[in-house]
Amino acid sequence: MIESWWVDLLLAALRAATPLIFCALGILVAERAGVLHIGVEGVMLAGALAAIIGTVLGGNPWAGMLATIAAGIIAGIILAFISVSLPTNQVVIGIAFNLVSLGVTSFLFRLLAKQLQVLVPAIPPLLFGLSPFALAAIVLIVVMWWFLFWTGPGLKLRSVGENTHAAHASGINVVYVRFAALIIASVLAALGGAALTMGWVRSFTDNVTLGRGFIALAAVYFGRWNPLLALSACLIFGAGEALAFRGQGTGAGLNPHYYLMLPYILTLLVVGLAGMARGPGDAGKPYLRR
Amino acid sequence: MKNGFEIRKGHNFPAIHWLWQSQVGISILSLTLSLILLLSMSLISGAQPFAVLASLFEGALRGKHSIISTIRETAIITLAGLAVLIPIRVGFFNIGGQGQIEIGALAAVIVASNLQGSPAVVITAALVAAMAGGALTVFVPLFLKIKRGASEVTTTIMMNFACIQLVSAMITGVLKDPGAFYGTTRAIPEEYRLPFFPPELGLHMGVWVTLIIAMIAYWVMKRTVFGMYLKAVGSNKDAAQASGISVDKVLAVAVLAGAALAGLAGGIQAMGVTYKVAEGWSKTWGFTGIPVAFLGGNSLGVIPVAFLLAILETGARHMQAMTGVPSALVYVFQGIPVLLFVCLSAMRLLNKKSSSA
Repeated sequence: MIESWWVDLLLAALRAATPLIFCALGILVAERAGVLHIGVEGVMLAGALAAIIGTVLGGNPWAGMLATIAAGIIAGIILAFISVSLPTNQVVIGIAFNLVSLGVTSFLFRLLAKQLQVLVPAIPPLLFGLSPFALAAIVLIVVMWWFLFWTGPGLKLRSVGENTHAAHASGINVVYVRFAALIIASVLAALGGAALTMGWVRSFTDNVTLGRGFIALAAVYFGRWNPLLALSACLIFGAGEALAFRGQGTGAGLNPHYYLMLPYILTLLVVGLAGMARGPGDAGKPYLRR
Repeated sequence: MKNGFEIRKGHNFPAIHWLWQSQVGISILSLTLSLILLLSMSLISGAQPFAVLASLFEGALRGKHSIISTIRETAIITLAGLAVLIPIRVGFFNIGGQGQIEIGALAAVIVASNLQGSPAVVITAALVAAMAGGALTVFVPLFLKIKRGASEVTTTIMMNFACIQLVSAMITGVLKDPGAFYGTTRAIPEEYRLPFFPPELGLHMGVWVTLIIAMIAYWVMKRTVFGMYLKAVGSNKDAAQASGISVDKVLAVAVLAGAALAGLAGGIQAMGVTYKVAEGWSKTWGFTGIPVAFLGGNSLGVIPVAFLLAILETGARHMQAMTGVPSALVYVFQGIPVLLFVCLSAMRLLNKKSSSA
């Protein structure tokens, strides 16, 4: 009885953590290449809407996936053009991008409201009651860890994040690497949005992501820019969210809003405990050729 | 960086040159371009761009009632803009405005509905409580920034969500009006609401307080030693520390002041307009403050930008009713100008670098 309670909680935590894991992976790639990816929330929102539009209009989940990836690539190109090609403040860009994305997705959702007010078909679990999204997330975490720390291109990517001028001197095209990293990062974040709408709540509402992109950012900072540690941070936050829903369901005693506060408080605590995490050396600095 | 005075050779259009060379010019340029974009997006939803523009202004500025609500909205957005602007001077990006506004409003309502006494005392106490609430809300991110080096970008946003949930818990729980069917506090007693000034005009005192605060903030930042400290800490922390400025103290004061103004914005709105805190009582003013701070540039510059965004916000519903264009379009207008502003500034910087090299 008690064991099954734990298994249930773990599965629920993984389900809640899946969108976070995708976003965290995206943030990792971008920040290891030295670009702060604050716009992840906006990209996630775009992916979340694209997944639903694709699934409803295209008639099957694959169309949804395709639309999500397309949305991620477009968002990535826009973000890369603004924050890599131009020496801008990447935090400001990210925040402004999130506002734009919130507006554009709500606008498009209103325009297509008649078609989109349906629940898309649930995606059947693949293995151990886990959705394909959750399994893909775990596989991707391991692949990312291997890519970043055990391959040549991974080393190049990290060197761009640590010291752009040294990387440039050793013959790496910094702008190219950052562009590629940001596009991959945005596709991953968009997939996180799809995991949220297609794989979990099965519909879109205004601002459906509710700050999950920022929770993923906190997970990456807590995980010290390491995929495996970031995964554990995502699971902790996922567990917080799962507990919140559980508390809401039983309705015993406490106001459900206190449970909904839990993931955010937990994140603050974790950030406080993680302390002076030092990220990639040149993260956030625009690259200007000397 | 701020004002480029050198004249580029062969430039035949003085107006464009001026737009390109000054901070104000770039603000105007990006707002205009965004407006054009907004209108072309309204074409997508099948409406006449000029009808959209007309209905926006009509909704916001036609008749005494809508003008007053636009001005009240301007006051809130101005304070929210100052709440971003002042901390950003010292390099702290306060994105937690929304949570600070909510907590400030709740604090004001609690004080105003529980305290007894002369209206002047109670109203002042409630507004001070609102400011204290806002400042208290930013305390955790500030502490984590100074002591642990944690980026305020995540922590202030986490505080936003936590505060919004806390306020929801309060107004559906301990502070709920027992007679209401939805989550809301009791209304503030009539005598403790913000008085109208001048009395025959339906404009509450908070608007004038906001105007005075903006002027004081402008004076402090331009003309006082503390304003100089802010600038020094914001442009180079190490140099400021080396020249004997207590960086952490200046940072803390600026951030707490900004958050207190956000709290005050909530307090003014709750005591002057809604008279209570209920579910869905607020708009996303905290986030609107970000474009206002960037495009405004200084404490007085935020007022015209806030006015423009207030027109969009109050006119949006009328626009949706008249032309069928979703009012969510207004949020696009809060992000696009900032993106353009930052891009244009960066392009100017690059341009200058290549012309000086």
